[in-house]
Amino acid sequence: MTIMKRRTFLGAGAALGAGLMTGTLPRFASAKAGNEITVTAFGGVWETAVRQCFCDPFEAKTKAKANIALGGPPQWLAQVQASPNDPPIDMLIMTPDLALIAANAGLVDDFTVDKLPNLAKIPKELTDSVKGKGTLLDYGVGGITFNKSKVKNPPKSFAEFVDRVSKGEFVASVPSIAYAVTPIMLIWAMAKALGGGVNDVDPFFKAMAKMKKNLVFWGGPNDFFNHLSSGEAELGIYFDGRTWNHFDSGATWIDFINPSEGGSLNGVAIQKPKNANPLAWPYLNEMLDAKNQEKFAEILSYGVTNVDVVYSEKLKPRITPWQKTVFPPYEEIAKVRNDWVDRWNREIGR
Amino acid sequence: MTIEFTAPKAKPAALLRPWALVVPAVLFLLVFFVVPLVENGLRSVVNDAGGFTLSRYGQLLTDSFYLRVTAETVLLSAGVTLISIVIGYPVAYFLVRRSGRWAGLIIFLLIAPLLTSIIMRTFGWQVLFARRGLVNNVLVDQLGLIDAPLRFSNSPEIAVAALVHVLVPFMVLSIATVLQSIDLRLEESAKILGAGRFRTFWEVTLPLSLDGVGTGAILVFMIANGSFVTLVLLGGGLQTLPLMIYQQFNTTRDFGMASAMSTILLVIAVVCLFLQLRLVRRRGS
Repeated sequence: MTIMKRRTFLGAGAALGAGLMTGTLPRFASAKAGNEITVTAFGGVWETAVRQCFCDPFEAKTKAKANIALGGPPQWLAQVQASPNDPPIDMLIMTPDLALIAANAGLVDDFTVDKLPNLAKIPKELTDSVKGKGTLLDYGVGGITFNKSKVKNPPKSFAEFVDRVSKGEFVASVPSIAYAVTPIMLIWAMAKALGGGVNDVDPFFKAMAKMKKNLVFWGGPNDFFNHLSSGEAELGIYFDGRTWNHFDSGATWIDFINPSEGGSLNGVAIQKPKNANPLAWPYLNEMLDAKNQEKFAEILSYGVTNVDVVYSEKLKPRITPWQKTVFPPYEEIAKVRNDWVDRWNREIGR
Repeated sequence: MTIEFTAPKAKPAALLRPWALVVPAVLFLLVFFVVPLVENGLRSVVNDAGGFTLSRYGQLLTDSFYLRVTAETVLLSAGVTLISIVIGYPVAYFLVRRSGRWAGLIIFLLIAPLLTSIIMRTFGWQVLFARRGLVNNVLVDQLGLIDAPLRFSNSPEIAVAALVHVLVPFMVLSIATVLQSIDLRLEESAKILGAGRFRTFWEVTLPLSLDGVGTGAILVFMIANGSFVTLVLLGGGLQTLPLMIYQQFNTTRDFGMASAMSTILLVIAVVCLFLQLRLVRRRGS
């Protein structure tokens, strides 16, 4: 039996600790093997869908491993910004405004057909929306979700929504400013529907002032569902895909309307950080594959972007073609977003 | 012949040994606390062009909106702390002086809420106080006391109640520990000298237990000061520094401003800690 003396043990421990701190020893915790990549996913059903639809076919074809890092776009972008020469993640799932920040900062690679053969099947407009440094994987439409057992005659437009909520006919749940895409899905979308736009969001703030007494705010998507299911609100501004997800999970009282002015398209962009493992390319190609996207759409009830995708009979009536949504001017919104947030803080408060 | 008694000279290595024991802890704190703190502080005073700026602090300390946010943060924490003292002191007193064999059960009941996830507890408050939740249903449908449901949920009051619910155990346990250490003979002496029960409590027990109140207050204040999840889910209308920091990170991506806000939050916590230490030292002297 080998006996380790206390002095030897302490010395070895100190050396190991010092080595790990100075980085002279191999970084076991974050070791990036050549045949492993770290991919990103939101939590819950999103993670399940990413694993089944993209990781599994990628691993089967390449014999490499795809590890999933859960989180959100602001966090992932910050991680890549902090370590651009050795990014800790190999592909990014981004909101389009953050995707543009990554693109403008030169943090991500160009998407080309020679690296991604399936990119040829993605509408050019969607790839151009993030300057060709990524493309859109899927999209949701921000519209009116309601509890049909309590709202028999739901508003058909944003204008009607504002009018009836202001009059106290309903209590509405809308995203709070803590939710990252609120500036797009609510401020811009409603301002535009009410006659404003990127440079004039007064109509939105006036509408919020009118509705204020009859509003509650959700901080995250599950929060919205709790508002509707607990009776805190009867309707609200939410996404189509998540609405159908709740419906399929048993909440058959929930329904969705794409407002007549057109709900905003809320795309999910995918990108590859510069200096990330090149194995990310075949993974990204799997994400753009028609069959994989079909399966993905089936799980999440969101529209996907490959033109060869054929939706099932169940999904067809639920998916709004992206051409029938209102495409937000992400780059222009990014320039004024902080002013909007500041105004929200001062006038609305939450 | 003279005999000299001299202490054996300690070897230098032996002198260093006690210090060596604290090196891992010091290194850990240095790497995971001091360095990030310094980095955070630096980020708050560096502008986009890489130059030095105090403009963010200027804005936080002069703009009426941010002053209101800071005041709201402090007032919320102070309010939660005061309510926790009012609720927690009698419970702690009962626990130490009257509970007898039920003490174990009471401590379990106190700690039980902490065994549940904070998100679940918060959802529980949502369900109870929703517009068509249990409380409103009873008030409107069962008892017929009111015509229309009250808007409890998404109000500051419900956020304060939820925070108190979580933080009262910290107050009770802090006070109970000190109450337990008070020599009962002091109270008996006061009574022998003619003091009634209330005067004995007011002039003997309460002053001697203030250390516990101070410790509990600092714990509750600090946790309330940095509370986030409860306020995100329930804090209708409340704007506090933790919520604003999250917003700077998540929505506006203004990391410099987030750093400045977190420095202000840290200063509030340090000032609070300083006041508590002064209270404890005054009691000690």
